[in-house]
Amino acid sequence: MPLFFTRGHQWLSFSPLQAFSRLVTFLILLTLADNAVADTYKEKLDLQPLSGQFLLASFNFQSHGPIEAFNKQMFQLFPRSLGQILQYTHTRELHLRFALGRWDSELWGAQPGDGQNAGGTGVETWAWVEADNDVEAEARWTSLNNALSGLFCASLNFIDSTRTIRPVMSFNPTGDYPTTNTSRLFLLHGSLPKEPVCTENLTPFLKLLPCKGKSGISTLLDGHKLFDASFQSMSIDVRPICSPNTGTCDIEIQQTVDMVLDISRSLQRRDSPVPRPRDQHELICDTSKPYASNEYCYPMDNSIDLPWSLSDLFGRTISGGCPFAVHNPAEEIPHVCIHAPESKLNTMETGEFAVSALAEGQRDLQCYMLRENVPFDISFPKQQPPISPLRQEPLLYAERSFTGHGQEHGGVKTVLRNPNPNDAIDVVYLESLPWFMKPYLHTFKARLLPAQNPEEDVISELYYRPALDRKRGTQLEAKLTVPPNSVVILTYDFEKAVLRYTEYPPDANRGFDVASAIITIPPQRRRSDGKQITTTSIRTTSLLLSLPTPDFSMPYNVIIFTSTIMALAFGSIFNLLVRRFVAVDEVQRMDLKAKIRGLIPRLKKGKTE
Amino acid sequence: MALRVPVNLRKNLSVVLYAFQGLSIVAVIVGLASLLLLPLDEYSRRTYISENALLPGQVHAYFGGSEQNIVRAFRREVDLLGNSTSDVVAERMAEIFRSAGLKVAKQRYSYKAAGGEYTGENVYAVLHAPRGDATEAIVLCAPWRNIDHLLNEGGVALTLALSRYFKRWSLWSKDIIFLISSDARAGPQAWVDAYHDLHGENIQSLSVKSGAIQGVVVVDYPGAYHRFESLHIIYDGINGQLPNLDLINTAVQISRDQMGLRTDLQEMWNHNDGYRHRLKTMLRGMVNQALGHSTGPHSSFIPYHIDAITLATHGDGWHDEGSLGRTVESVFRSLNNLLEHFHQSFFFYLLMAPKRFVSIGTYLPSAMLLAVGLTLTAIRLWVDPRSRSVGGDGGEVAKAEKTSEKEDLKSGKEGSGKVEVVAVDSGPKRELFLPMSIVIGVHFCGAIPFAVFNLVDYKSMASVFYVFIAGSVILPTLISVLITLTAAPHRLLPAFHLSRCFSLLFLGMFLSTLATLNFSLSFLIGLFSLPLTFARTTPKSIPLALVNSILLQLTSPFAALFAVAGYWGLGVEDILKEASFGWWVWGMWTPVIVWCVWWPAWVVGRISVDSSLVMAVMGKSG
Repeated sequence: MPLFFTRGHQWLSFSPLQAFSRLVTFLILLTLADNAVADTYKEKLDLQPLSGQFLLASFNFQSHGPIEAFNKQMFQLFPRSLGQILQYTHTRELHLRFALGRWDSELWGAQPGDGQNAGGTGVETWAWVEADNDVEAEARWTSLNNALSGLFCASLNFIDSTRTIRPVMSFNPTGDYPTTNTSRLFLLHGSLPKEPVCTENLTPFLKLLPCKGKSGISTLLDGHKLFDASFQSMSIDVRPICSPNTGTCDIEIQQTVDMVLDISRSLQRRDSPVPRPRDQHELICDTSKPYASNEYCYPMDNSIDLPWSLSDLFGRTISGGCPFAVHNPAEEIPHVCIHAPESKLNTMETGEFAVSALAEGQRDLQCYMLRENVPFDISFPKQQPPISPLRQEPLLYAERSFTGHGQEHGGVKTVLRNPNPNDAIDVVYLESLPWFMKPYLHTFKARLLPAQNPEEDVISELYYRPALDRKRGTQLEAKLTVPPNSVVILTYDFEKAVLRYTEYPPDANRGFDVASAIITIPPQRRRSDGKQITTTSIRTTSLLLSLPTPDFSMPYNVIIFTSTIMALAFGSIFNLLVRRFVAVDEVQRMDLKAKIRGLIPRLKKGKTE
Repeated sequence: MALRVPVNLRKNLSVVLYAFQGLSIVAVIVGLASLLLLPLDEYSRRTYISENALLPGQVHAYFGGSEQNIVRAFRREVDLLGNSTSDVVAERMAEIFRSAGLKVAKQRYSYKAAGGEYTGENVYAVLHAPRGDATEAIVLCAPWRNIDHLLNEGGVALTLALSRYFKRWSLWSKDIIFLISSDARAGPQAWVDAYHDLHGENIQSLSVKSGAIQGVVVVDYPGAYHRFESLHIIYDGINGQLPNLDLINTAVQISRDQMGLRTDLQEMWNHNDGYRHRLKTMLRGMVNQALGHSTGPHSSFIPYHIDAITLATHGDGWHDEGSLGRTVESVFRSLNNLLEHFHQSFFFYLLMAPKRFVSIGTYLPSAMLLAVGLTLTAIRLWVDPRSRSVGGDGGEVAKAEKTSEKEDLKSGKEGSGKVEVVAVDSGPKRELFLPMSIVIGVHFCGAIPFAVFNLVDYKSMASVFYVFIAGSVILPTLISVLITLTAAPHRLLPAFHLSRCFSLLFLGMFLSTLATLNFSLSFLIGLFSLPLTFARTTPKSIPLALVNSILLQLTSPFAALFAVAGYWGLGVEDILKEASFGWWVWGMWTPVIVWCVWWPAWVVGRISVDSSLVMAVMGKSG
């Protein structure tokens, strides 16, 4: 336990009660240390300038702990709240994604981490749940979502059977299961494209971290800045990992935050919250134009990279390393790295830190290790000429949009473009549609551009699970090959169902969001250069489906008014017609006996007739 | 007792006939009068913002200051490109958009209509909403040349400058698309068709797209001169569809109350909000709606249920690009506030002043009453005994009457308990075959002018049109001669009678349906068809027949075409070219309605009038 001995000197200043609790913890940990390996924790911030004056900041928080301790509910760094949920629902592997905005692959290139940490717009979750049968898995999945919903302040509880699918080809477990019978593992996937991801989701996310956003790189995660980013994705992955050598298994929790900051907008917000027109002398004009004068200003392209620093962009500095992640300097795990393609990258750092030796070999990378309680900041001065950031060509470009218009029918068009000039690429296309959007499978077609001769079918496998009204949505999974340097256009038509009026959400009727399509590129080896491609995911943007919507207020008022009038009119007229008005003394005294006696002859008469 | 009424009516049919005639006249008069009442304060309403989320004019608009220097510079750039071809223009515009850091794409298109080819290249840029998810978009459009083929210098320059300015804001909840269409008529249509993947062969698909378009604002600011006096809001869409009134109200409220800019509608530059000006505005709006043509780039968006308006500058005043820029900015801020698609306010309305309108509930009765007048006339014709061929089998009538009288007596004996069944429709049979075939045949003939005028070249349009006028003047006379010659004399009058009846019935039904979709077109056709209600077969009065014939000529579709041509100051061939262009490019239905509904009804009317002359000449007046 080197961790606690190095921090021992801090304890002197604590109050007796705190000191006592610390002591107890210390003793418990000491006893644990004898028979179990303590959890390890790493955190890392990767800064990568992107073209178009954007900056990608990838936060990665990872902790490992022995799975035996986890199973015995002995949590060290693994968040107890999440751990207990996972154990209660028998979830073996959990993936949770919160995303906002869109990744602009044209401009920024491939997504970080092969898109493995990104989700579709809104909330997306999938998990492998251990259960005896499908029904039990479904029940556990529901209670998992309900529990996560409470934990993350997200409407995950709305992931019901209509929003749950069971992908067949798109997902594979990332964890190791040496002891579990894999036929008892059920994969369930759900998404909520409409869920607006916001601060209330970030706070519980940070709470799961050992340092809870109080120190370490997570201090930069401020809601105002995070949700002003052009693209933002938070992910949580829990999975078991086993070492093939020793056979011991760990449980790993990995939390990531990827955000793309628009540098100019962030800096401008710092200077003035309202982007007023600049002063005339601040304009950068092209003076080579013949008409250039005080009155005319042809704006110049930004020929310099704007200078920035972490504190400019995030509004604060890193307040020292997280104690759990500050390791022995000999271990050499950097906390902050900045990528830039050119070696003349010029950075200025403030605070105490150590330059990581890891980056020595790489010219385009500078890495730093943080010290506890010492603030850290990087500033990136004006780069002139602007550095052209490294852009990694994505394996595939995907874009999806609606076609047609009207309230009855529509179409979906997905364009998949393979930019590689030499190699075809196999992809799995997964679409999860709400039940009220009913695709016509016979119209599902793949068109190849440029057209190939002879016409070859690009779709090799198709898995389709039709929707049941109000019970489950459509699941469409297709395995297809995109030939080199060509475009595959997938199209299908669909019909819009008419909803019952109680099925419309109570809020403003903007339309219904259709979850992003998930495009998975399974691991494969490129033919031309033999390079291995790891599993890559791409998500399209979500779509806004407008259904025939009644104007709720108007017919409702009309119905209520007319019904009231009808009821009043009918009631009083019926009353007048049916009721006989007689004076009190006119009322005949009715004898029950006499009445019955009177009935008998009538009945007899009726029979004879 | 109530059952005695039909018997009485049968015996004294003239009551029914006069009642119907009176009713149809009353319907027409009331219909016309109610339209004239609409501009009064008691019948029209002040406009109001129905969708509270719009919050028009609640935010401060900042565009101006140094941004105006940029607009001026872009103006010079546009000016330099003034007469370049559309691909050069598109490339240069794309360059400017790209330097602002937007996603840019271009689209070539080509349409063929009336022997002409309309080609061009649109260029557009998408500003991704900073935190948006590409589900919704709003469009700022500036045509390179406006509807009058003037170089839209100010509009394009302002769009370019606004694209840079808007990019600095992080509050956009929807993507903003900046579209510079190569012209004001075909370009936007090609673009919006392709946006929904419903484009034709010669139109390129769009390579960059965004989400569902929620609103469109077109800026039309032509000329090199910067200053303008007022803002002209143009709102008519294709086929007389209108944008949601909330969008117009937003624009009016922002420009008038926030920017102090006067707004005009329907080219009424000096609107004093009096009765005459209101009526004139309304009638001009109705003419535009009835023609169903495009009045600006915004028109093409409206059929896709995308609410769109054009803001055009007018006159010479003290407002400059800053005012217009702030107006556009403020309108966009309002559109950005929209939580749902425009749905609150009215889609069917007539505007008579920037802040005064009537909604469908108030104005619809006038068009409906005209259509009802036609239908009532048709019913009267059906009930009229002259619709029965009496001459041939007069004996039957007598028999029928006798039997019915016997039945009456019988029923009288039976007592009051039984229901008396008296067939009102007894009497000689109506001969339906001949009148039906006339009406159906003529309606089928309507496809001929429709097809011809959509296929013919512009050069030969005028000559074809005059040939066609001659043809359709002779055609009814020919048909009536043919029928008079072939049919039995006692069947002639009923046949003409019934054919008129069917034709009016069809016209009445059609117009009342049309009134719910395009009120103005229905009303105007109804107005022009009024002579059809009284132009009947009068073999005994040749002067009356001549008067009717002249009246019909004056209210024919051709006369209407000439009237429209006169109204716009164009030749007839230009109107026909416009109609053909409208059909091929915009999907405009007006020619279909004119040639396949109105023209046949007019021909049938002419047949029944001409037949009186023919019968008089041939001595078959019965």
